[in-house]
Amino acid sequence: MATATYPPPPPFYRLYKDYKQDPKSAPEPPPPIEGTYVCFGGTYTTSDVLPSLEEQGVRQLYSKGPNVDFKMELKSLNGELQLHVLELADILIERPSQYARRVEEISTVFKNLHHLLNSLRPHQARATLIHILELQIQRRKQAVEDIKRRREEARRLLNESLATLDGH
Amino acid sequence: MDIISQLQEQVNLIAHLAFNTVGTLQRDAPPNRLSPNYPEPPAHTTEDGTNFSEQPKLMSSALVKAAKQFDVLVTALPISEGGEEAQIKRITELQAENDAIGQELQKQLEAAEKELNEVQELFRQASDNCLNLKKPDDS
Repeated sequence: MATATYPPPPPFYRLYKDYKQDPKSAPEPPPPIEGTYVCFGGTYTTSDVLPSLEEQGVRQLYSKGPNVDFKMELKSLNGELQLHVLELADILIERPSQYARRVEEISTVFKNLHHLLNSLRPHQARATLIHILELQIQRRKQAVEDIKRRREEARRLLNESLATLDGH
Repeated sequence: MDIISQLQEQVNLIAHLAFNTVGTLQRDAPPNRLSPNYPEPPAHTTEDGTNFSEQPKLMSSALVKAAKQFDVLVTALPISEGGEEAQIKRITELQAENDAIGQELQKQLEAAEKELNEVQELFRQASDNCLNLKKPDDS
């Protein structure tokens, strides 16, 4: 069934024949999957975290720790990258056959740079959330003020009309 | 584009410039003298001259400019020093404030709707009275 060119829909639809009359006669939807699952032949995981550099087999050049100073590390990595490019140029002049190690070091620096930038993304997401919440609070306050003002104005108009009618 | 994407683009640009520089130099460099026994190799003058000696300078200045731009972007990063815990605390505070304001908004909205219904009812009664008063004149 899984490999036919135009496979028929799964046969579960027959179980829901009497759903309108009796919602309990049909099976409940399956609970959410936890952990890893297989979809179209590929394995996927339900927890999306950035894999650390050691898991990808890349040496980590910046200091580990709970709070990494991103700006400083990014700048120092940038300087290191420039130095490595200079080293590559030098070694191509003097001992051209030993370029491979320098190239590998350059690619390690690039991988570290990209990993640092990727680990900034959760911070950015939380900052965006804070910004959205602040905007929403401001909009709600504005709406409360508007409603209060309109109610006051309506009450004033009613009182005026009452005074006019009484005078009449 | 947000600043982290700009930083990522800048890193890719630096990589691009770096391997372009090295690759161009490798491709276009004139042959070098290997040993004092053999004579100097014939200089290939069609591409050389002003074009070739300026290329390394141009490319390396482009590379350094890109690296400086990266530094400028890094300085412009709006990272607060609080870290994750401070952000999460701020988020819970904002959520609590948001809920309070939302409830007050709901209260005001309900009161305003009630008043609207009352006014509509009064208007209905007044218009009915007007119509009832007018009837004997028409007939």
